[in-house]
Amino acid sequence: MVSRTTKLLFIGPGVAYLAIIGLFPFFYSLYMSTTSLNLTRPRRSQFIGIDNYVQLVTDPLFQKAILNTAILAAGSITLEIVIGFVIAKIFYEIAHIRTVNWLRTLFILPMMVTPVITGLMFTYILNPTLGIANVLLRMVGLPESGWFGSADVALLSVIMVNVWQWTPFLMLIMLAGLMAVPRELYEASALDGAHWYQQSWHIELPALRDVLLVGAIIRLIDNLRFFDVVYIATRGGPGDATEVISMFAYRQSFQFFNMGYGSAAAVLILFITLFVTTLAMRYLRRIEHG
Amino acid sequence: MASARRTRFLLYIAALVLTLVNLAPIVWIALTAFKTRVQIYQIPPIWIPDFTYLDNFAAVIQGYWPFLLNSVVITLCSTALCLLIAIPCAFGLTLFTFKGREDLKMWVLSNRMMPPIAAAVPLYLAMRGVGLLDTWTGMILIYTGFNLPFAIWMAMSFFRSAPVEVLEAARIDGCNWLQVLVKVMVPMAAGGLMTVAVFVFLFAWNELLIALFLTNRNARTFPVILTSFSGQAQTVWEQMAAASIIQLVPPVILTFFVQRHIVAGMTMGAVK
Repeated sequence: MVSRTTKLLFIGPGVAYLAIIGLFPFFYSLYMSTTSLNLTRPRRSQFIGIDNYVQLVTDPLFQKAILNTAILAAGSITLEIVIGFVIAKIFYEIAHIRTVNWLRTLFILPMMVTPVITGLMFTYILNPTLGIANVLLRMVGLPESGWFGSADVALLSVIMVNVWQWTPFLMLIMLAGLMAVPRELYEASALDGAHWYQQSWHIELPALRDVLLVGAIIRLIDNLRFFDVVYIATRGGPGDATEVISMFAYRQSFQFFNMGYGSAAAVLILFITLFVTTLAMRYLRRIEHG
Repeated sequence: MASARRTRFLLYIAALVLTLVNLAPIVWIALTAFKTRVQIYQIPPIWIPDFTYLDNFAAVIQGYWPFLLNSVVITLCSTALCLLIAIPCAFGLTLFTFKGREDLKMWVLSNRMMPPIAAAVPLYLAMRGVGLLDTWTGMILIYTGFNLPFAIWMAMSFFRSAPVEVLEAARIDGCNWLQVLVKVMVPMAAGGLMTVAVFVFLFAWNELLIALFLTNRNARTFPVILTSFSGQAQTVWEQMAAASIIQLVPPVILTFFVQRHIVAGMTMGAVK
């Protein structure tokens, strides 16, 4: 038997710490989101109920931020899965070669790069006048692009950067998923005369389903809080072309000191995150229990 | 068979090319860090700079070393504190049974969902209230809190795979639970715990948003300094590149260190 005191001594500090630093911000944000707190206004903040949320839903800039975040998430995750799968297959086929371990580690380096650096790096590389990207485009005779500075392609550029950084992550977990498929399944299906695409559809995809779901959830959470790269590279611009929800909440709270309104946006981000992850976890559990 | 071998050779070449393309942006920044101001603006670009030209690195370190020091101190201390709290907690949650344990575990995990932007304003006000705004202590406490859900959850996944018989044997030999943890469990799970430490370290090292709000001069971390390299009228590209390379040294080294456990680390143990 383990005494109550022992249990408390082991588990207590961690749980207490989390309660303070996790629950406090949550409830405080919730509280602030129902007030008119604005540090630039001399008037004291008042309780205004759900007015901030009502205003948010009808705010065109917030709608645009939601739309941009959705495009960013959907575009990035789709491309990361598709490209990641192809590359995982390549690494899977050559996995038995010894030097491949090194190659794989080098390949995944982008996902360990500090997001701030990712933003800086591509601000330089995609700089319209002195960036190497346009120099290379010129060299092969293609038209140059404004990248982050052009309203039409700014969001696409951000997606591209996102895909560069995170395809290695999806590739890596899909590779782990592929490695877990028993060799015999391939051999048996090959004997039955299955084509490679039939093998992909009937053997690999089901094997990768859980792994992909976990990967997609993690990437979705990341995209909902996506901030650093946009903060560095575009600040949400040009215009509102790359305004994402974290950037919106940041601007409200710390640029306009409109903290009630900013908190409401932040709380919405949290709720969307919780909603999506709860749904996905429930789905995962249903799979586990057959 | 010969054609299978040729296919594999071609695939190997493909993997090599893909890796090089993927690394090209990082390599390009590394090359830029060795260029002079004049060379930055040359067209066609200079592909291979003079690697003995280290002025950019010297300028960054001279100009910003206090902030590098802040980053190092805050990252190391918060990593240590986080492990110190997370390891016993994960140990207890894995081995001790009590009512509501599963709910408690899920609650720990759910803290991970908190977007930094939602925590930033309350934490700012709280830290201002207790006088810890813009201090090492304040940042260490906050990063520790942000990392706890991940660290507890990951440590649990490694503790679960430890053989129970060994732990029971230690109990029969008269060890108390603390001794079981320190003398038996931690050595057995050392590899896994190193992975936890690395990921906790990287989170703190890479974090921007919270540091942007909660530090001003004294405790400003290096990533916040890095943001000041962009958006100026005259960006100092060569110094930006050198600063980036300095910032990237720990992540790159640690990647090779934990390459086996990266999948487990990134998915909190959901995929291994």
